[in-house]
Amino acid sequence: MQILEKELIALNVEASDCEEVLRYMANRFVEAGVGKESYPDAIVEREKNYPTALPAMAFDIAVPHTFAEHVNRPAMGICVLKNPVEFHQMGAPEIVLHPKVLFMLAITDPKDQILILKKIMGMIQSEEILNSIKDADTEEEIYNIVSKVFA
Amino acid sequence: MSKSVKLLTVCGSGIVTSSMVANKITEMLEDEGYDVEAMESNPSELETYLMRDKYDFVAYASPIDESILGDVPAISAICLLTGRGEDEFKEEVLKILEK
Repeated sequence: MQILEKELIALNVEASDCEEVLRYMANRFVEAGVGKESYPDAIVEREKNYPTALPAMAFDIAVPHTFAEHVNRPAMGICVLKNPVEFHQMGAPEIVLHPKVLFMLAITDPKDQILILKKIMGMIQSEEILNSIKDADTEEEIYNIVSKVFA
Repeated sequence: MSKSVKLLTVCGSGIVTSSMVANKITEMLEDEGYDVEAMESNPSELETYLMRDKYDFVAYASPIDESILGDVPAISAICLLTGRGEDEFKEEVLKILEK
């Protein structure tokens, strides 16, 4: 039930702002066939209207996602930022957060994928897992950490 | 007989985050002996949902227009995603439901 795709893991990503990193990741979703052509714009738009950053226990994170109509198949990507950039908090857009790791989601049917969503929720609440993702040296390492979560 | 609860969750897309939150609250309340029926919505659909049905409470992960809630209690569910303040959330929900 692994939802993380290897080609959607990015380490040491440098970006000057939120939109740049969102587009960089979202374009990879399109290249991998996970997101439709409309996916990057939809991700950026949705983040502006309904921000997705969260003050997780370990450090700030974000879970960018958008409507199912922009998605071909369910998947998750992970982006570890070299320099955290400004995002806004989910549910409280006046609060600025600086996520270090993004978990970009492509969800087609939340009812069908509820187990995956539960695992993702558990993962973002675990200080240990978040830190090991942030400190990983290779994409392979992140893939293995997350595989254990979804095992 | 278990007590039944009707819950409405709200998030930006009305799907992903609200499903996560709905699932978490359902498990939380089932542990307390409640029978939970959860519906997911987004901020623009919220008013329609509230007009169509009577909910015991609303849990939101995106800002909502509180003026449309009427007498339906609403509570922020961001803590369920971060894990910070989950116990307080549960206490508050149980207080709402005991009323």
